[in-house]
Amino acid sequence: MTDSSTSAPAAAGGIPAQNSATRTPGGFLTKVPGEGSFWLSEWAFPVFVACLAAGIFTGTHLYYVYHTGVFNEVAVASMLKAGMEGGSYGAAAAFGAGFLFARVIEGPMVGILDIGGSLQTGVGIGIPAMLLAAGFTAPLQHFWLAIPVGAVLGALIGVAILVIRRATVNSTGGTSTFGADVMMGAGNSAGRYLGPLVIISAATASLPVGLGSTIGAALFYKWQKPLTGGAIIGAMLAGLFFPIPGK
Amino acid sequence: MNDTLTVLLESLVIGGLIGFGASAGVARMFHAPKVQGMGAFRTLGELNACQNDPVAHFSFGLGFLFNAWSSAVGTGALTGDVDHRIVPHWTASAAMIKNRNLAETLHNPRRMALTGTVVGMVLITLLNTTAASIPHSLQDVAAKVLGPASEWLINPVMPIIFWMAAVDAGRRTGAWGTILGGLGHLVMGNAVPGIVLGIVIGKGVDDLGWTKVTKSLAGAVIILFAASTFLRGADITLLQQLKVDIPHWLLQFHDATGTKPQ
Repeated sequence: MTDSSTSAPAAAGGIPAQNSATRTPGGFLTKVPGEGSFWLSEWAFPVFVACLAAGIFTGTHLYYVYHTGVFNEVAVASMLKAGMEGGSYGAAAAFGAGFLFARVIEGPMVGILDIGGSLQTGVGIGIPAMLLAAGFTAPLQHFWLAIPVGAVLGALIGVAILVIRRATVNSTGGTSTFGADVMMGAGNSAGRYLGPLVIISAATASLPVGLGSTIGAALFYKWQKPLTGGAIIGAMLAGLFFPIPGK
Repeated sequence: MNDTLTVLLESLVIGGLIGFGASAGVARMFHAPKVQGMGAFRTLGELNACQNDPVAHFSFGLGFLFNAWSSAVGTGALTGDVDHRIVPHWTASAAMIKNRNLAETLHNPRRMALTGTVVGMVLITLLNTTAASIPHSLQDVAAKVLGPASEWLINPVMPIIFWMAAVDAGRRTGAWGTILGGLGHLVMGNAVPGIVLGIVIGKGVDDLGWTKVTKSLAGAVIILFAASTFLRGADITLLQQLKVDIPHWLLQFHDATGTKPQ
C-alpha cells in the first residue's frame, strides 16, 4: 500500500532545508529566520495553530449563519447539517472528536500535525457539534465570539501537542517514530483515489457528465496534471450543456 | 445585500487567519521533525512534486480551486483542499515568482505566513461571495458528482487505505489497527481515527515495548473510545440490538445529556 514513488520525495524534502537555512540575504520578506527565531521556535507553534483554528471555527460560524464557508468535505459538513436541521449532533461530535484525538496523538510523534483531522474536522465540526448539542449556540452565532473561542481551542491543541512531544518523542531519545512512515504512505496515496471516485460518481449521475469527466481526466493525465482536476472540470463542462436529469 | 457585505468582511478576516496559520505551518513542515510543523504528509509530497516551479504550484492549486468552488456553490462546504492544497500551493507560487531559492521562500515560515495571509484573504472571499453567481446546472453537477465521491473517499476508501497500511506494517500493528478500526467505525462512525491510533500504539510497542509512554497512550485511547460510545449513544443501541433490557438510570443519563441515539 505504501506508495514509494510519492512518499520518497516527501521524506527527502524535510532534510535539505535544515542545511540551507543559514543563508542571510537582504530584505525583510526573504530574510531566513534562524533556528532559534520566533518563526521556527517551539512556542510559536501554538500561535500558528490558534490562528488557523480561529479561522476554521469562524468558518463554521459562517456556515451556521449564512450556509457557506465551512472548511470541510461535503460528506462531513452534512453530519453537522443533520444536527442543525433538528437531528442529533452525536454523529458529528463523535466523528470530530475521534479525528481530533487521533491526530493530536499522532502529530507530536511524527512531527507534522494533520490539519484535516485535527482542525478542520475536530475544531470545525466536532467541537461545534458538541457546543450546539449542549445548547451553547452563542460562539457559532456571533462573529466576534467565534474568533476568540477558535483561537483558544487552537492554542490549547498547540500546547497539548508540545507537552506530548516533550513526554514522548524527546524523552525516548527519538528511538520510535510511532509509525510515521506508515501514516505517510497511507496519507500520500489517499489523495490519489479521489480522481477515479469522481469519474465513477459522474458516470453514475448521467452519461454525458460521465463521458465529460472521463475525457477531462484522460486529457489531464496526458498533460501530466493531477487526474482529479481534469475529472472535475470535464464533469462540470458537460453538466453545463447537459444538465443532470432531476429525480 | 447586507448579508453579502457581512459575508465578504468576515471572509476577509477568516481568510487572513487561515492563510497566515496554514502557510507558516506548511513552511515549518520542511524543518520537521526538529520543529513541529502542521499540514499533512500528502501536502508535503505534493509541494515537493512541483519542484519549485511557480507555474506548477499555481496550476495544481487551480485544479482544486474548481473543486472547492463547485462544492461551495452546491453545498456551502469549501472542502478540506482549501487549507491543504490551494493555500499552500498558491502561497508557494506567489513567493517563488521572483525568487526560486527554497530556503528563502517555501521553507521560510515568515515569507510563507505573510504571503499566505494575502492569498487566504483573496481566496476565501472569492469562494464565499461568488458562490451564488454560478449557474444552477453547475451547482447541480457539484452536489451530485462531488458529493458522492467525497463521501466514498471518507468511507470506505480512506479506512481501507489506512487499514491495508496497518496490516502491511507488521503483525502487532495490523492487530491493533484491525481491532481499533472496527471498534472505531462502531463508536465514531469512521474507522480512520481507530486505525491511526492502532498504528501509533502498535509501532510504539514494537519500538519501545510496554513502557510508561505506550501504556498511557493505550489508556487514553480506551478513554476516548468509552467517551465516543457514550456521545453517540452506541451503548443503548447495542443493548437494544442484543435485546437486553436497558437500565432505567442509563436511559435517564442519556436523556439528561442529550446523547440518545436516533
